Amino acid sequence: VTGTHPVWHYDGRSAVRHQATITYGPQGFEMAGDGMAFQSHAWADLVYRGEKREGAIYGLKSDAGWQIGVPDPLPDDLRAHLPKPQRYGGFIDKVGLVPASIALVIISAGVVFGAMKAPEVVAPLVPMSWERAMGDAMVGDLGGRICETPESRKAIDAMVARLGSKGDPVEVNIANINMVNAVALPGGKILIFRGLLQEAKNADELAGVLGHEIGHIRNRDVMVSLLRQMGLSVLLGGANSDMAGALNSLASSSFSREAESEADDYSIKLMQKARVSPDATAGFFDRLSEGEEEMGQAAEAFSYLSSHPMSEKREKAFRQSKVSGAQHTPVISAEQWRAIVDACANDPDVKVGDDLLF
Amino acid sequence: MGVGGPDRTAFEWQGNWKAFLPIALTNGLLTIVTLGIYRFWATARERQYFWANTRFIDDQLEWTGKGKELFFGFLIALVALGVPLFILNILVSRLMLSGQGAAVGIITLIIYILLFWLIGFAIFRGLRYRLSRTSWHGIHGGSDEPGMRFATSYLWKTIVGFLPLGLLIPWASTRLFKERWESMSFGPHSFRADPRWQSLMKRFSLFYILPTLAAVLGGLALWKGGDDVGSVGAGVAAAGLIVIFFYIALPIISLVYYAAYARVTVGSVRLAGLEFAFTARSVDWLLLGLGNLGLWLLAFFIGLIGALTFGGLGALLSQGDQMDPIVAMATAGSSGFLIFLSFIIPLMLVGPFIRYRNWAFFIRHMEAGGEVNLEELTQSETAALRQGEGLLDAFDMGAV
Repeated sequence: VTGTHPVWHYDGRSAVRHQATITYGPQGFEMAGDGMAFQSHAWADLVYRGEKREGAIYGLKSDAGWQIGVPDPLPDDLRAHLPKPQRYGGFIDKVGLVPASIALVIISAGVVFGAMKAPEVVAPLVPMSWERAMGDAMVGDLGGRICETPESRKAIDAMVARLGSKGDPVEVNIANINMVNAVALPGGKILIFRGLLQEAKNADELAGVLGHEIGHIRNRDVMVSLLRQMGLSVLLGGANSDMAGALNSLASSSFSREAESEADDYSIKLMQKARVSPDATAGFFDRLSEGEEEMGQAAEAFSYLSSHPMSEKREKAFRQSKVSGAQHTPVISAEQWRAIVDACANDPDVKVGDDLLF
Repeated sequence: MGVGGPDRTAFEWQGNWKAFLPIALTNGLLTIVTLGIYRFWATARERQYFWANTRFIDDQLEWTGKGKELFFGFLIALVALGVPLFILNILVSRLMLSGQGAAVGIITLIIYILLFWLIGFAIFRGLRYRLSRTSWHGIHGGSDEPGMRFATSYLWKTIVGFLPLGLLIPWASTRLFKERWESMSFGPHSFRADPRWQSLMKRFSLFYILPTLAAVLGGLALWKGGDDVGSVGAGVAAAGLIVIFFYIALPIISLVYYAAYARVTVGSVRLAGLEFAFTARSVDWLLLGLGNLGLWLLAFFIGLIGALTFGGLGALLSQGDQMDPIVAMATAGSSGFLIFLSFIIPLMLVGPFIRYRNWAFFIRHMEAGGEVNLEELTQSETAALRQGEGLLDAFDMGAV
């Protein structure tokens, strides 16, 4: 026996408060007091429960309700036997606040870096069949707003075949929507909007855009973007718990500027191999850039914020890719091009879709 | 054991802000360096302090909840809510692409009804969790009800309360208070609560009387103005009235009503031989609100002064002509970091200290009277909850 100390005690069965005295030694302590049975416990069975105004309270590992309160001041030999106080919890108490904080900063930086880089690493590992299933679930048949005639189907297939991109088959469709745009969707799907066909002067202009979207699919940019949004929402969910908002942003996906430039490079390579002139695509961007020139320097600054490189820069890239002396032929015949342009007009049962909800 | 009295109230707040400051500071630091994940442990530490400095009769309360269970509760809620929402999101985007607006509307409505139900469920579970982790004299509270029934009741009563121009809101909220508290127990005793919604109607009618009065007065002013109708002066006056109404009158009516709501509901609670009361008057609530607002402003100005000081110092140091570019960069970087710190530290402390003030306010105005029989106050036999109030947290409703 090394000493005695007063304690208060609740047995966890009734609310009666017991005043007791512990008699302690190196292995454990014995406790006796008013209206309670004599008890004996090993130090190893005791756990720290928290701090009260009079002193710390301790519980038993095997009995959730049992507790003793040990009033301050504590004799040093008793303090040495009692479980260490828990302040910050877990490993932080073991290593100390400052070292733990430094370690946590490093880990957090790693997590943020990983969350930014991981989608590019993980996306190629997602089986194309999964992505295809997701694409089918998300897009479906566009509510019957896909323009298709037997001739337009053949013409599109001919164009894709001429560009000759190696890999899983891509599914190119025309959507009866009046926007000057084309999009790559999950599962190797490409949608060309009616507005783009009306804006384009010939098939070679479309070829460059199509090559660009195929580039997005080959680089798995669609999956990268989906994964990035998912990761972001989980990370944000940790700091701020507005999950509904974070999940909603999943629906809208866009690609990084690097991904856009790489898709352009891919398109240029496809056209070079297929011996399709890049001049037409360059001309197409030239016409698009006229609108941007009016904005002048603002457009330049803006292009760093928006995801698409400025049309003028894209025009240059396509123009300069031309190999001198190369023999070029149109990507498809003039009749085939007409079949594509007129697909929406000639498809008897297509629906008009300008009321698209996004 | 007799409870409360004129010289010694049953509840007493014994904390002080100087003792709480290190907790708030280290919680803020650890929350930042863990990208927010530590906040569950931070909550547990805060509550341990609040509970341990709250005396009821002869002993302080004890918070036995752990950060880990709050964290797992949140993860469970994240998966349970996130996965269905993700699937629904894909479905909705498909329906949108195929132009089925009606179906999108119906699904969105169903999602909102479901979320509303879940809010009721979360409120019940949150209360149940907090009681189960609140211990006094080694005895804790809890409930054996899972909370589904309350959630359904919450859904329809809230809707019914709003439908007749909101007139039934006092009825709905007092009924829901009764339902959730009568499902709770402490030790072997069930809580009883029977707040009368009738006592709230006088103050609730202010929500209708004041706007009507304002509209009549505004109309009169316009009519008196006669020729000036549509002039700049009348426009400014109307805009002023609207601003006064929404930013001053409406908050004050809400406060006056809420003060009555708290008095009536808490004042109806009984537990075995105990009766509870809540004494805060409208002016007390107003002072609490103004004090909390003052904390925000104080933190903002301290942050601003710090930022300006470090910004000015940085500018002074970098004025030298023959400065090494590396030294210049280091100066700019460190002054930027100090500016960031001088803003973030005061703002980081606002949340914990508002919770501190709210809790102290709540305890200072709680009273209880009657008798407690310690021998009969035996341990609660309610089923132990395994995880914390994750759902409440997911809805960002986990105050205190």
